[in-house]
Amino acid sequence: MSSPAQLETKAQVAEIGDKYKYGFVTDIEMDMAPKGLSEETVRFISAKKNEPEWMLEWRLAAFRRWLSMKEPKWARVHYPQIDFQDAYYYAAPKNNPLKQSLNEVDPKLLETYNKLGIPLNEQMALAGVAVDAVFDSVSVATTFKEKLNEAGVIFCPFSEAIRDHPDLVKKYLGTVVPVTDNYYATLNSAVFSDGTFVFVPKGVRCPMELSTYFRINASETGQFERTLIIADADSFVSYLEGCTAPKRDENQLHAAVVELVALDHAEIKYSTVQNWYPGDENGKGGIYNFVTKRGDCRGDHSKISWTQVETGSAITWKYPSCILRGDHSVGEFYSIAIANNYQQADTGTKMIHLGANTKSRIISKGISAGKAQNTYRGLVSIYGKAKNARNYTQCDSLLIGGNCGAHTVPYIESRNPTARIEHEATTSKIAEDQLFYCLQRGIPQDEAVSLIVNGFCKEVLQQLPMEFAVEAQKLVGISLEGSVG
Amino acid sequence: MLDIKNLHVTVGGKEILKGLTLSIQPGQVHAIMGPNGSGKSTLSFVLAGRSGYDVTEGSIIYNGEDLKAMATEDRAAKGVFLAMQYPVEIPGVTTMTFLKTALNSQRRKRGESDLDAIGVLKLVRAKAKELNVSEEMLKRALNVGFSGGEKKRLEILQMSIFEPKLAILDETDSGLDIDALRLVAEGVNALRSPERAMLVITHYQRLLDYIVPDRIHVLAKGRIVAEGGKELALELEAKGYEHIVGQAA
Amino acid sequence: MSAALAKRRDEARMIFEGRGIPTRRAEEWKYSDLKSALGEAGLGQEAAATRIMGLPQGLEFADLADPNAPAWVSQHLGTLARNAVSEASLAFADGGLALRVPAGQAIAIPLALELSGAGHLRLLLVLEAGASLSLFETGDTAAPRNAGIEIVLGEGAALDHVRLTRPVPGVQVEEIALSLAAKARYSAHFASFGGKLSRLELTIALEGEGAEAHLSGVSVLGGEAHADITTHIIHRKGNTHSTQLFKKVAGGKGRAVYQGRVTVAKGADGADSRQTAKALLLSETAEADLKPELEIFADDVKCAHGAAIGDLDGDSLFYLRARGIPEADARALLIHAFLEDALTNITRDDVRGMVRNAVGHALAALL
Repeated sequence: MSSPAQLETKAQVAEIGDKYKYGFVTDIEMDMAPKGLSEETVRFISAKKNEPEWMLEWRLAAFRRWLSMKEPKWARVHYPQIDFQDAYYYAAPKNNPLKQSLNEVDPKLLETYNKLGIPLNEQMALAGVAVDAVFDSVSVATTFKEKLNEAGVIFCPFSEAIRDHPDLVKKYLGTVVPVTDNYYATLNSAVFSDGTFVFVPKGVRCPMELSTYFRINASETGQFERTLIIADADSFVSYLEGCTAPKRDENQLHAAVVELVALDHAEIKYSTVQNWYPGDENGKGGIYNFVTKRGDCRGDHSKISWTQVETGSAITWKYPSCILRGDHSVGEFYSIAIANNYQQADTGTKMIHLGANTKSRIISKGISAGKAQNTYRGLVSIYGKAKNARNYTQCDSLLIGGNCGAHTVPYIESRNPTARIEHEATTSKIAEDQLFYCLQRGIPQDEAVSLIVNGFCKEVLQQLPMEFAVEAQKLVGISLEGSVG
Repeated sequence: MLDIKNLHVTVGGKEILKGLTLSIQPGQVHAIMGPNGSGKSTLSFVLAGRSGYDVTEGSIIYNGEDLKAMATEDRAAKGVFLAMQYPVEIPGVTTMTFLKTALNSQRRKRGESDLDAIGVLKLVRAKAKELNVSEEMLKRALNVGFSGGEKKRLEILQMSIFEPKLAILDETDSGLDIDALRLVAEGVNALRSPERAMLVITHYQRLLDYIVPDRIHVLAKGRIVAEGGKELALELEAKGYEHIVGQAA
Repeated sequence: MSAALAKRRDEARMIFEGRGIPTRRAEEWKYSDLKSALGEAGLGQEAAATRIMGLPQGLEFADLADPNAPAWVSQHLGTLARNAVSEASLAFADGGLALRVPAGQAIAIPLALELSGAGHLRLLLVLEAGASLSLFETGDTAAPRNAGIEIVLGEGAALDHVRLTRPVPGVQVEEIALSLAAKARYSAHFASFGGKLSRLELTIALEGEGAEAHLSGVSVLGGEAHADITTHIIHRKGNTHSTQLFKKVAGGKGRAVYQGRVTVAKGADGADSRQTAKALLLSETAEADLKPELEIFADDVKCAHGAAIGDLDGDSLFYLRARGIPEADARALLIHAFLEDALTNITRDDVRGMVRNAVGHALAALL
């Protein structure tokens, strides 16, 4: 049955109640970089973080490259031109030496977490989850360090990893998502503020789920998180990422980069619930989410599994991918993307089969409502050496109402005669008779929609760790409220 | 309990019920019989409150309240239950989850507290056993891949869990073999009580051998054309609808 | 040539010259780099020809360049979907053929068309309301050739189209644009054996309630043959119906490409679309690229697509061998069977026989 932590989570979720309640702004003094983007900005960020020379050089190289690049336009998303000079690229809560306990943390921050329904202290005690809470780019509390230390797991803010584990960072940073990869990844490489670093040593099964709560707070501050997770041979780690952001009128840019590396027989499970501010019902405001997430199954028999529940953001541009380099490696992508009102989501995955006997599985559930546009875009590519490679893809779209769009754009490429790829896609709506059946049995409309949509998404929800699954189910319902009838 | 007067209903602009009058007291079982297209299913959907079924004239009073004015789910909470001819499949939603959600939705509406997961489980298990609904069935997605008999048994199981005041059984016998029919009928009979009224809609007399009604109404072309006791069913069976309907016209 | 047509052709030339020959950087040409396949010479400005083997009775024809061409020619020519390559055919074809089946006419004898020679050609086919025709299209191996075909189907008209082409050493491109009025029906089969670059692009607009398009096709590719079938079906109105079934076999350095986009416009309730593309790879160096795309703007629709690339089913192979059939024969049998279900869509027995023969020859060369 449910652990106290799960019950706790359920209780919190229940309190989330009817509407998007994360719309508030915490008033904390910010330490800002000057507005705009230049070499000066990059140097300012690097200096603020007391980075070594090599890191600054890396950033500057990325910045120079970025200047020569163009914003990608191929996705089915439309938004006003972003003025990259009209934003702040660094904001950190002031006076922020590393804290040993929660008592040292700014009470206002803790209050923010409480409003979000994340009682950090209780959660640590009850759930056995180590929380590295990122508050506007800089980590303020790192917990459960000792337990992880015992296991030899490194779980720390990215800035700390640069200082304390430079060899690991140098060895892996930018090896999955190269500095030159794409416009937003390159931008991130130049100005990333902070993020999370995880290293799981050989043969270690990480003793707890690792979780980081991201939160965008400062007005007009782009968020450029950088995450690097390395699972050494025969290790296992499950990482949870959950996001909420305060309500804002200005559009906020978010361009994170996540790199995963799995060595021989290692497994990484990466789960995301993304519930950033989607804009209001007229399409005003909301987060622009341009994310590059990629995992490299570098070792034989390694496995990387992405699970995402995307309910928020005005614009989602996100393709968590797997490079299946090692023989017998496995890549998975489980996705729920909900777009309501004027939201636009263009999301999917790439499964690049390089090694022999590699397997991949893609399950995508897209739900469109209101005037939203929701696109699945995916690539399955089998290279010549990927003997006996296997892929199975299932893409289902659900439309709610006649003013939204659901689109499926799969690219299926094979260069090996022994490989097998299967792809299926369907489009449906919530049937009137399903709704009537629920209503007749006494279930109110919004709850009926939530029930039916959760049923539609079940295969993906099942992939989430328990704490997330409960929250995600609630979010599915909340994000579609009022969409029928 | 239920008082229908001069009910006119249109579906997609076409008038299906043309002045139907019917009254049922608590504890009674009434049967509606009639040929295909006579409006039997329309009557059941109107009582349950399905959208697209527009009442253009007449009244439906249920326990002193105007049923027309009530939302579908409110009718359910107030005890109106429709066992459907074609129970709907909802992929991904387990039967157990559905039962729990529906039961607690109704309870909340009535101002009662939620039953917790264990309470629901106990209740459902006890009732399921009586109706030969297996544990495995409860774990499967609602009605998905169920046989015709399983679907109908699940409808009756829901009826016994929700304990409605007015149960409408729409062609519950359709698609059932004789054993399944007997099982379903036994389930229904077990739920007969002085507080509960039932409206059994059927095309054939066969079901009424097992669920013996207090009164039978024959529906044709949107109107009640004949009424009588249980012997009317036998007459219908012997002479056919054409005879009775023709006589009335 | 009429002044209006001359103007339209000037416009077409400007569009083509402005956009140029597409490369694989253009999304629609991702798997077929036309520019590099053509090399320096490009598409040229020659005019190719359309030959008719016996004009069936009841069919009217006209020269597109004829200044006195009947009104139905200018009414329809150059009005359907365009892209740079189809604009080139309009600009450089130097006239072309226009055919019409008048309202209510059912032409019993199939119309046999052969596309001939290198260069650009243009064809307009109009079936008026209630008319019906069976079209059998072939082509010689001259290259490069760029054919632009416009087909207009009036209310309730029915066109049965089979295209059977030979392997071509060079580049052949064909762009077919169709417009279907209410209850019109287009059913087509495309058998292709590739070329240095071979591309068939169909844009089918279901403009009237109840219009239907049913497409099927087989490709058998060996050597360095490339065959690209690109379709775009637009369900503009309600209760429109489309099906697609494409089967491809590639050996040697063959490359099979299928791109199929189905669009359901807002309000086209009751649209129903099925799309299936499957490929078998027979060698280490063959490649298949499939892109079945859905673009849905209406909720009351039934749309599904399936795609698969793989090798032969091991169980079936084992079963046949266990019954004493040698492996090579068993494989051949299964490959034939794989393609066969796409051939059943061909309605005329004689035509199906011809296509099956061609498929047999191509497979024999491959296996």
